[in-house]
Order: sequence, then structure tokens, then C-alpha cells
Amino acid sequence: MKKKLLLSSFFMMLAPLVLMASDGEHHLSYSLTLTHNMTLLVLQLSIIIISCRLFGYIFERYLKMPKVLGELLSGIIIGPYALGGIKLSFLSGLGASQLFTNPLPIGEAGIAITPELWGLAVIASIVLLFLTGLETDLPTFIKFSGKGSFIGLGGIVFSFVFGDLIAVAMLGGVTGFMHPTALFMGVMSVATSVGITAQVLSQKKKMSTPEGVTILAAAVFDDVVGIIVLAVVLGIGAGSGAGTDWAHIGIVAGKALGIWLVTTLLGIFFAPKLTKGMKRFKSMEIVAGISFGIALFLAGFFEMFGLAMIIGAYIAGLSLSQTDIAYEIREHVQGIYDFLVPIFFCVMGMLVDLSIFNPFENSSLLIFSIVYVLIAIVAKVLGCGLPALLSGFNLKGASRIGFGMLPRGEVILIMASQGLSKGLIGQDMFGVAVMTMIVTTVMAIPGLLVTFRGGSGYRAKKGEDLSAKEMKSIELEFATPRMAEFIKGEILESFRNEEFFIQKVDHSDHLFYARKDAVTITLALEHDKVSISMLPQDETFVRLLVVEDILAMKDLLSGLESMKSPDMMGAELMMGMFSMFDSDATPQDKGFDNTEKAEEGDDEESEDEEKENESSDEE
Amino acid sequence: MNLKKILSKDVICLDLKSKTKSDVLSELVALLVDSGKLAAEKRDLVLDSVKRREAQMSTGMQEGIAIPHAKTDEVDDIIACIGISKGGIDFGALDGKPSDLFIMTISPAGKTGPHVQFLAEISRLLTNPDKRKRILSATTQEEILAIFLGK
Repeated sequence: MKKKLLLSSFFMMLAPLVLMASDGEHHLSYSLTLTHNMTLLVLQLSIIIISCRLFGYIFERYLKMPKVLGELLSGIIIGPYALGGIKLSFLSGLGASQLFTNPLPIGEAGIAITPELWGLAVIASIVLLFLTGLETDLPTFIKFSGKGSFIGLGGIVFSFVFGDLIAVAMLGGVTGFMHPTALFMGVMSVATSVGITAQVLSQKKKMSTPEGVTILAAAVFDDVVGIIVLAVVLGIGAGSGAGTDWAHIGIVAGKALGIWLVTTLLGIFFAPKLTKGMKRFKSMEIVAGISFGIALFLAGFFEMFGLAMIIGAYIAGLSLSQTDIAYEIREHVQGIYDFLVPIFFCVMGMLVDLSIFNPFENSSLLIFSIVYVLIAIVAKVLGCGLPALLSGFNLKGASRIGFGMLPRGEVILIMASQGLSKGLIGQDMFGVAVMTMIVTTVMAIPGLLVTFRGGSGYRAKKGEDLSAKEMKSIELEFATPRMAEFIKGEILESFRNEEFFIQKVDHSDHLFYARKDAVTITLALEHDKVSISMLPQDETFVRLLVVEDILAMKDLLSGLESMKSPDMMGAELMMGMFSMFDSDATPQDKGFDNTEKAEEGDDEESEDEEKENESSDEE
Repeated sequence: MNLKKILSKDVICLDLKSKTKSDVLSELVALLVDSGKLAAEKRDLVLDSVKRREAQMSTGMQEGIAIPHAKTDEVDDIIACIGISKGGIDFGALDGKPSDLFIMTISPAGKTGPHVQFLAEISRLLTNPDKRKRILSATTQEEILAIFLGK
């Protein structure tokens, strides 16, 4: 429904790409080529969507790994360097010999897939960054950034410097620290994506631990600062043709930073006014559509100024994130996100040519990628771990934070795709980025599981009772997932009423932080269970809060109970109605059966009905 | 949490006269009215909402402590009072024992604010048996206030 609009508008955007791709063809065969290219694209998409969904499912369900790894792997397998490169004779009618190979290599970047497909990936990356911006929680970033920023910054500096230096030391043609490729190898190592960390910690009920809270805060910092660093490096990359002296680089970097800062400030200032105006449309579909349009515009604008489309998209999202309709826009964009982003990961996988890592042909690349990955691990674990050690954590706590910050996730893929399209890195370094992403993400899981064993990660000050830092957790089990979801919403609302700030931890609707000053409470929804964890000093508060919510729910249910009683007017009406048809049956029996059926049509009603039945089961 | 803003010595009663749950609730609401924190004409509506909350589940906890409370639009800010019943009364407490220390809180329904946090703060203070003893044996309102304010 509401997602349709955005989906169709995005398909319309594809049309110019197709036209562009056919530019070089003869005029006569133009329309034929157009149809051929479109047909090929549709076939490609069908294979991509089906395979990345299947692989994503297998990875998540059976291997307990992030979906994105499966989607990426599906791309490697079906891509032009593997199955997609096999000659298929039936495709010759479309002017192609292989399903995924680009018949006309485009430009110097030499991207292996067709421009149409690449265009799709570009739009997907814009959607991804727009949504990331929308979900960035600026107040939290500003308010809780203290310790987290220190740790995040450590990880960024270490990763950037080491990533850059390895490139200088090992890559031919990379002349110095400020060489664009070196800088870009540094930026890629900076990426952080703590989605998998959040998943592991939530399963182990460690989200509200000081480590968990710190990791999340540091990750928000990394998101914001990582984008700025990327903007600066891309600025330098675009401007480096004129010279590489420090003054010039300083100007270019300052310009990139300036554009970033000014646009962000303007965006945050004007977004509320803009959304206020847009509300006149009275339709969130239109508002979300226009917002996405603005994101695309800013994306194009940034690209024109030598930055990157994704940075513009991120700023558009960030600006809108503080408006009162951020949530609605998110809801509407989520539809395209869910559809496009897996395709993006799959397409990224397609760009990986595994054969370049063949040690017999090109051992230096394999060695480089191993070193780069190892250093990427060490840089993050040390870069985040050392500041953690300095801010009150013990060795255990510091290594937990280090491993938590390790995964590069989708962020490095997005960055790498930028570097590839701008010619800052080639397909070999793109492959290295993908390796880094896979290894760091997979490594983080055992790393976290091992380090999170045992006691507190906090260093006890003299006379401090460490048990005061041990998390307490309250678990509530409900009869059905829907009921648990309902009470989750109620509890979050109560936290909001207590002036807590609610923060969603990942894209799903299952993990939340409720924060106020120094208090952080985690709420996790898992199937039919709601679990809340907090520090011991907050336990009384949480218990009292939840009791009131349960009581309110009980009230609601008993309200429904009374509605069902035969003296209710509605029931009487129904009874009268059915006794007209069947005079033999007792009116009561018939009437009630049908009352329930009739109510099923109405979402809210039937939901409550369900809950009611379950609560009596429970008792 | 600033208990000082909410608690003062004129909302503390050292010797509640009531012997039943319903009377205690009336007496506590009366204390709020007498101290000037609650307008007299709102007395019945507030008492009603407190009773409604008690009907859902008693706020009588363990160790003789009860925290009757309600959310209502009759008040603009959170108000509270403290009462002690010598000998205790049957408040339908969770542990079945008589309740002797009452802390009543009324908070605005439509407004956000640290309402449950106030309740939690008070409750947490009372987990300390020594403090409970001192409160129950106190002879002046100032003494009780000092204990709640952590002096």
C-alpha cells in the first residue's frame, strides 16, 4: 500500500539509467536494445532477489550469522566471476552471452556488472544511508557521548592510521600517507557496524551492561564521525589532481568538512519548518515520498561537489531525524529498504573476483589482504580497548568493548563501493574490503561470546561493591507474541512518560534502550517474552513501572470481559439478529459464535479478544 | 530525584487515627488538602482515583509499607504525603501483615515527569530496616523529613 508509491517511483528512476546505457547504440536498434537491456535486467533481478533472500535466510536461521553475510555470499556465487560468468546460449537473443557480465566495460573503474544493475545498487546505498541518518539519535549522541566518544575515537584513529600505513608500506604506487588510495584504505578500516554485536549481546542479556551501553554509544559516534572522515577523504581524492601539498589538502579537506557541517546545520534548522509545511498534504505517503526525493536531491548535490551521494542522503536523514514525523518517514522508507538493501549486498558480492586471491598467480595481494584484515582487527580491538582501559574498565571489559566494535559490516561495503566508483580503489582492494567485512563480522561473534563469560568488566575502585554493577533482569512471559508486543509498547510509553529517551538498538523492533541521565535500561522482545535488564539500583523503579502497566492491561481486559456479558447492548443486538434466522437454536449460543467472527475483521478488536483468551489460559 | 521539592513537614502525619483501609486513604488525602497542596474541591475525585488503583491491586507491600498512589488530571504536579499508623491496619498487603507506614503519591496523568521514579526512590529508601525503625519511632515531623531527605 504505502510502500507502493516509493517502489514505483524508484523504478521510474531506473529509466534514465537504461537510456544512458544505450547511448552508444545505433538509432535504429535503439528501442530494441532498450527492450533487450530491460529484459536482461529483469532476469538478473529475479535471480538476485531469489538467491540473496535464500542465502540470507540460511545464514540467519541455520548458521546464526548476520543475513548480510549470506546476501553477500550469494552475490559472489551468482556473480560474473562465478556462475554468472558462464556462457548461456539462450541469452544471445538479448545481445548478451553471460547473465551478469557487463558487455561494455564502463570507464576506467571497470565495474563488472551492467550499468543498470550498478544504478540499482547506488540507489540502494542512498536508501540505506538515508534510513541510517533517520535513525541516528542526535540527542543521545550529544548527551551520552562522553566515554563512548573517547572509545569510538580511539578505534577510528587507530584503524585509520594503520589502514593507511599498510597501504603505504605494501601497495605499489601509493607514495605517502596523504595518497588518496592510502587515505581511502584508512577510511575503510574505520567503518563500524555493531548490528551483530547488539544481536549477540541481546541474546546473552548483556545489552545494559556498562560494556553494552558503551559500545552502542561509541557506535553512534563512529557513524557520525565515520561519515565526516569519508567526506573529507573523498574531498581530498577528488581534489588531489591539482597537487598534494599540505596546504592544498588542508583547503580541500576544510571545504569538504565545511559543506558537511553547513548542510547538516541548515538541514537540522530547516527540517522542522519543511515538515510543518508538508503536513498540509495530510498524507504521510506524500510526505515520505517528498522526503525521499529531497534525500535524492541532496545526494546528487553532494556528488556534484566532489563528495559522495551517500553523504548527502545521510544528511537528509539526519536532518529529518529530529522532526516529529521522523518515525512515519522511517516506516514508509523501510519498505524500499527491505526490498533494495539485500540486492545491494548481493550486487556488492558480485563485484568480488575470488580468483585474484589465488596465491599461485598473485601472492602479494593475498598477503596484503591477510595483513590488512589482521591489522583491521588489532586496530579496532586495541584502539577501542585502550581508551576503555583508561575509562574504568578492566582488561576483560576492555576486550569486550574491543570485540564489540570490531565488525565492519555493511558500512565498509558502502564505503568501498564509493571508492570503487570514484576510482580511488580498484577491484582488488574492493575484494580486500569484502574479506575484511566477512572476517571481522564472523570473528566478533566468538570474540564476544568468550570475553563476555565470567564477571564484571568494570574495575572496582577502592571500597566499591562490584555487585552493584551486575545486571539484574526481569522476565515476563506472555501467552502469545502479540500480547508481549502489546505490553512492550505500553512499557516503552511509560518510560517515555517518565521522561526517558527511547532508543531503538537495531533496525528491528525488538531491542530498545530507555535512557535518562546516567540510567540505561534495556528492553528486549523475544517471541512471547519481554525481558528488561537494568542495574540493581533501578530495579525498584522498573518493577513499579511494569506493575502499573500490567494493571492497566488487566483493566483493559476486564473492560472487554464486561463487554462480552449478555447484558451488553451489542450482544443483545446480535442475538436478536440471529434468532431471526434460526428459531430452534438458543439465541445465546448462536449469537456469541457470530459475535466473535464478526469481530475478526477489525484488527484491534480481534487482537484484544485474543489477549483476553490467553490471559484466562494463563490463569 | 529531588524529594525536597515534594516533601515538607506539613505533609507528614505522625499518628493516623483511621482503623480501616478506606479511612486511611481519606485521611491521607485530607492531609494533602490541609497542607494546601490539593484544592478542597478536588478531594473526592482524587480519593476516587486512589481507591480505584487500590481496587486493582493493593499497594500494601512488605514490612508494613504501603504506597497508595494514582494518576489524575486533578493535579498539575506530583504531590505526596506520609502518614504513620501506630499499631498498623489491615491494608490488604502482599505479605498479609498490617501496614503502618503510608506514603501517598498523586501525579498528573497527562504530564510526563519522574512519577514512578519518585515512588521508586521512596521505596528504595525504605528497604533499609534501620531507616524504617527510625521513621516509626520518630516523635517529630522534622525528624521524619530528615530521614527521607537523607540527613
